[in-house]
Amino acid sequence: MSGRAAGGERLRVDPARCDGVGQCARLAPDLVSLDRWGYPRVAERPLTEAERPVAERAAKGCPFTALWFQPVR
Amino acid sequence: MTPSLPLAASAPTDAGARGVAAAPALSTVPWQLLATAQRLAPFGGADSVVTADVPAPEAYVAHLARLGHRPRATTDLVEDLAGAGLAGCGGAHVPVALKWRAAAEATGPLTVVANGAESEPLAGKDGTLLRQRPHLVLDGLALAAEALGASRTVVWLHGDDDGARLAVERALAERAAAGARDHGVEVVAGPSHYLAGEATAITRALEGGPPLPRQTRSYRPEPGGPATLVQNVETLARVALAARGVPAMRTALLTLVTARDRRVVEVERGIPLGDVVAAGGVLPPGLQPVAVLLGGYGGAWASWTAVAGIPVAEASFRAAGLTLGAGVVGLLLPGGCGPATTATIAAYLASMSAAQCGPCLFGLPAVAAATAAVASGTVATGRRGAGRSTQLLRDLGADLDAVRGRGAGRHPDGAVRLVASALDVFADDVAAHLAGRPCAGAGRAHLPVPPGPGTAGRRRGVAR
Repeated sequence: MSGRAAGGERLRVDPARCDGVGQCARLAPDLVSLDRWGYPRVAERPLTEAERPVAERAAKGCPFTALWFQPVR
Repeated sequence: MTPSLPLAASAPTDAGARGVAAAPALSTVPWQLLATAQRLAPFGGADSVVTADVPAPEAYVAHLARLGHRPRATTDLVEDLAGAGLAGCGGAHVPVALKWRAAAEATGPLTVVANGAESEPLAGKDGTLLRQRPHLVLDGLALAAEALGASRTVVWLHGDDDGARLAVERALAERAAAGARDHGVEVVAGPSHYLAGEATAITRALEGGPPLPRQTRSYRPEPGGPATLVQNVETLARVALAARGVPAMRTALLTLVTARDRRVVEVERGIPLGDVVAAGGVLPPGLQPVAVLLGGYGGAWASWTAVAGIPVAEASFRAAGLTLGAGVVGLLLPGGCGPATTATIAAYLASMSAAQCGPCLFGLPAVAAATAAVASGTVATGRRGAGRSTQLLRDLGADLDAVRGRGAGRHPDGAVRLVASALDVFADDVAAHLAGRPCAGAGRAHLPVPPGPGTAGRRRGVAR
């Protein structure tokens, strides 16, 4: 991935890829919660530097590569 | 400005001699898109219920006689469109110049698409336009392709819209015979389902993928990668006017719908919606609706008193926290039940999900079921009825929050908007239903709703 945007990055879920496995919520419980059907909801705000490694671990752990990072402009 | 009556909204003329219906008087005003208002079947494509009412598609010679040849497009055209204030007519009202400038930045091959696949089952203005004035749309498509240097031009239609396809194919043959400067237009019949008109779904299909909406992960196309500009057919017709220096945004196309009637009308912008509806030919004289569904199934309810005085112009509706969307105006008449109508539409929308994502797959049926329970007014029976009613509304609110903004396309957001607006606009009715006092009209929809054909997209688990 190229350089980070000035406004930081948000963690996003691609809903069409997500299969509700729930691995992201286990790997990053402070960033991801599950709705009542087991699908992830992530915080809208930009990630802090401290949160970034946790978010990357969750993204790498997703079997459907449904998590991605959106530059905040 | 003196508001004038809605244009082309009069009833068809009487039958002429020998039992053949006389042709309706057709408009020749240069800035008008439609030759005449058009009465349609309750939902589905833009086919009329009365064949005799339908004017033949405008011939190329007649089109040229009216407007002359289209000018050659240069890169300056985008500035003319910005100056004309041209905004997209597919529902989102995005300034056309904004999209064209983004498309002009693409370094890879560009596809320009004329989108004639109206997603809203109640909408009929694009299909009507294609049937009446195909050359205006094709002129706009050619202008876009020429101005932006497109390598591919496409007319995208619903798979079952034979009327529009025939009109476009005949028009293309006429143009080819006349030596018009076109760009090898492909007519592509997409699927017939609800989601096929979403721009991301069209882009995906034309790139060889499934015709389903997606979440785009970047704002701009990859450098050197293919880019696609999707523009609504009415928008392109207005491009064809603007390029000729004809006022391009003087009118608006609306689809007026009641439980029994659907009519596409062309009206002068700036006329209050109340006057448009009164003259629109779908209501008996003097009868006023109690509420309107603006934008169709994925739109929002508003009370009649809130909208009757608003001039038909997107900016005016936005100022009131509303939107005209793609111009569908559903009219709920006195005696009609808002909650029941909403529940029927919500069930249809749940059945039309692409089943691509969890919030859609599970959330929409949950929302539809809760809306149906509210509308039926049966929860109040039994000792703990009041508590259960409160809980039902709370759960419905939580499910609306859980679905909002979380779909791959715009479909689930539309369903959320519909139900949330109904709970607001019909709050008194909802309270009465939940207290065990449903209105006389409960139990059936008071706008046309087609039967849901089941899940439109592929099932989960199938290769995506």
